[in-house]
Amino acid sequence: MITDPALAAPDELLGAGPAADPVAAAGGGDNPAPAGLWRHRHLLDVDVLTADELELVMHTTATMSEILARPIPRVPALRGWGVTNLFYEASTRTRVSFEVAAKNLSADVVNVTASASSVTKGESLIDTIRTLEALGARMLVIRHATSGAPWLAAETFGGSVINAGDGLHAHPTQALLDLYTMRTHLPGGSVAGRKVVILGDVLHSRVARSNLWSLTASGADVWVCGPVTLLRGFEAWAAAGVAGTRQFTATSDLAAALRDADVVMALRIQRERMASGLLPSLREYAARFGLTRARLATARPDALVMHPGPMNEGVEIAPDVAAGTQSVITDQVANGVAVRMAILYLLAGARGAGE
Amino acid sequence: MTIDVDARTSGGARSSVGARLADLEISRAWLVDPASGREGPGEIVVTDGVLEAVTWLEGVEAEGIDASGVIVAAGFIDLHAHLREPGNEDAETVATGLAAAAHGGFTTVCVMPNTTPALDEPSVLARIRDAAAASGLPVALLAHGAVSAGRAGEQLAALGELADAGVVGFSDDGAPVGSASLFRNALAYAGMLGLPIVDHPEDAALTEGAEANEGLIATILGLRGWPRAAEADAVARDLAILADVVGDVPGARLHLTHLSTAASLAHVRLAKAAGLPVTCDVTPHHLALTEEWLAGARRWSWEALDDDGVARDHWRDGAITAPPFDTSVRVNPPLRSAVDAAACLAALVDGTADAIATDHAPHAEVDKAVEFGLAANGISGIETALGVVLAAVDAGRLSLATAIAALTTGPARVLGDREPSTRGLFEGESANVVVFDRSATWRVTPDALASKGKNSPLLGRDLPGRVLLTVAGGRIAYEAADD
Repeated sequence: MITDPALAAPDELLGAGPAADPVAAAGGGDNPAPAGLWRHRHLLDVDVLTADELELVMHTTATMSEILARPIPRVPALRGWGVTNLFYEASTRTRVSFEVAAKNLSADVVNVTASASSVTKGESLIDTIRTLEALGARMLVIRHATSGAPWLAAETFGGSVINAGDGLHAHPTQALLDLYTMRTHLPGGSVAGRKVVILGDVLHSRVARSNLWSLTASGADVWVCGPVTLLRGFEAWAAAGVAGTRQFTATSDLAAALRDADVVMALRIQRERMASGLLPSLREYAARFGLTRARLATARPDALVMHPGPMNEGVEIAPDVAAGTQSVITDQVANGVAVRMAILYLLAGARGAGE
Repeated sequence: MTIDVDARTSGGARSSVGARLADLEISRAWLVDPASGREGPGEIVVTDGVLEAVTWLEGVEAEGIDASGVIVAAGFIDLHAHLREPGNEDAETVATGLAAAAHGGFTTVCVMPNTTPALDEPSVLARIRDAAAASGLPVALLAHGAVSAGRAGEQLAALGELADAGVVGFSDDGAPVGSASLFRNALAYAGMLGLPIVDHPEDAALTEGAEANEGLIATILGLRGWPRAAEADAVARDLAILADVVGDVPGARLHLTHLSTAASLAHVRLAKAAGLPVTCDVTPHHLALTEEWLAGARRWSWEALDDDGVARDHWRDGAITAPPFDTSVRVNPPLRSAVDAAACLAALVDGTADAIATDHAPHAEVDKAVEFGLAANGISGIETALGVVLAAVDAGRLSLATAIAALTTGPARVLGDREPSTRGLFEGESANVVVFDRSATWRVTPDALASKGKNSPLLGRDLPGRVLLTVAGGRIAYEAADD
């Protein structure tokens, strides 16, 4: 359990009675999370999380959502902790989400926007991280255009590293907020047995990759769908299975993918895919793979519509679908803060326990 | 069984590197000599730098000697090494590179011309040779000259002048000869000079931004795919042009270096059957390491195949034992699948591949201690080549004779068999010999590597076949310290 005196005890977190567990206090009493489960120093990807650990993150997120519902959504859990957001890729929403999450936990937040030019100037990632650590960072949130960069950061940094998106590879907090959002909206509060469709530029999507691990671990029936040029490699991965045992489906047959789906997540299509010859045009993409109202109608009537943002409305998703009653896209944004608070909190506890 | 391999110099003192080997007698060893087609118990005697006697033992005398102990073979020839001088002496120098070669059992090294400036005219070669002479190391340094001026791929380098200065071939290695037209002209012109073009086959249009072999591992790790077809189609182009050129220029010869895929080797197999003058090499790392290593697996390629030759599942097997994205396994061409590695091994067995070449690519730490996608390509491999190849032999994937041939007679043939003493155990010739103990392992550590390039994915691993002594041109190139 949490022993670092700098870290607030769980009861203090909620301002509840002395013995209150954050999970129980949040009303998650039906399915209490196993205590003391968290054993990770970093959050680099969700592939290493067991079903129990995912459950712990979900319950902790529920607690944080409750805090967020208060008039002043701030607790002292990470008071005195330096959290540094190191972003090598422009990203307003993810950076702000982490910043708000850390501030809600009373951490001291530093934002560093490192341009790609610092790389060409010869300033290495390792140098930068050592500098930030010397300046007081205990948690490092890193986004980088190169797959694997957070692993290099984790080798160097003395504290905890949180991957906020690396290249095409992983975006673990996005996958966790997606899972949380699905669970809060799906009947029964579980994705087990639910058909989840991830639609679009799967090849270049770290969101799709991370979601594959967490959703299949949670028992969802995952389908990835898109034009073959943007699905390259995933057919073979689907055939091999995630971690050898958990199957998913990869197809370019949109109708088959959407049929009776419980969740449809559209992914952003970037213009540079046309320049590299992967797609004829955005118009053609929208016509063949865009998530329209008519296509959504082939899914289950109450199917959830999701998007990790930022959206190209009218391309991968029609504006009326994005803003429609089935859309939970703004919930995803709000839940992003809660999930990131939960991760910061759990990692701080693990660091406290480990020192 | 211990064998006294103490080499004595003429003064009778303890030997020192660079000194002429006055007197060496190795009795009761296992000799492997593909040049004469023989392998078995034997003895050698070196006197005053000359291999005076090679004696094959039989009957009672041979009892108790087998291939698991001390092995004597001709010194190895590396067709492909980057010694980085001039221009990148932080990564390697001619002196450290030759010392590394000697530690690896190599007595002849062909350096690649991608130095700064490029080895595209004779003065650069003279500078490299001066550095070799100044090193005091007896390892023979041969050189490939550049195909194109400045390796820019636009116009021919000073091919004739380089030939006169003694280069053994031409290569723009590090990059392919991208222009088919320039490649055709180079093949013809070099053919006129009696020298091969050594091509690095890669279709750059298919590998732009590529980070890892296209396949399951790259997909899972989110690394940009490096398709096998990028190598196979470049090989096919080269062979088509060779077939065209050789009709007019009978001396035209093509050597394809570091082939890594089953499909490219299949192209070469067919071309050889059709009688085209083509040779090729494979690297130790493409024989023994696979794309799995990027995910953190550390098993040999043959351990990653099931009995049906199908790649086993990395995650289910629990084969992942190291962190992912280790830049020491970033190399061009990329580590491929276990099936491709098996094809490389099979190509050595059936003669499609003529040689094992190390593609020794040392890098300074600053060029590797970066994000995977930004890291320099290459493995420092000249010192670990023998151990890796012996691991394949131990696993039954190669015979010892095939392995040694791929390090001696095979590369000598690619070089046109210019110097017989470098390829076999020939009595009366200046001694080029490596002595290693197959049953003794050594641990790969930064300190154990003579190369300045510590960029080896094998760090921390124990490799078989500790080299005891390397003799090049009758002089001591390397001798193991007494334990």
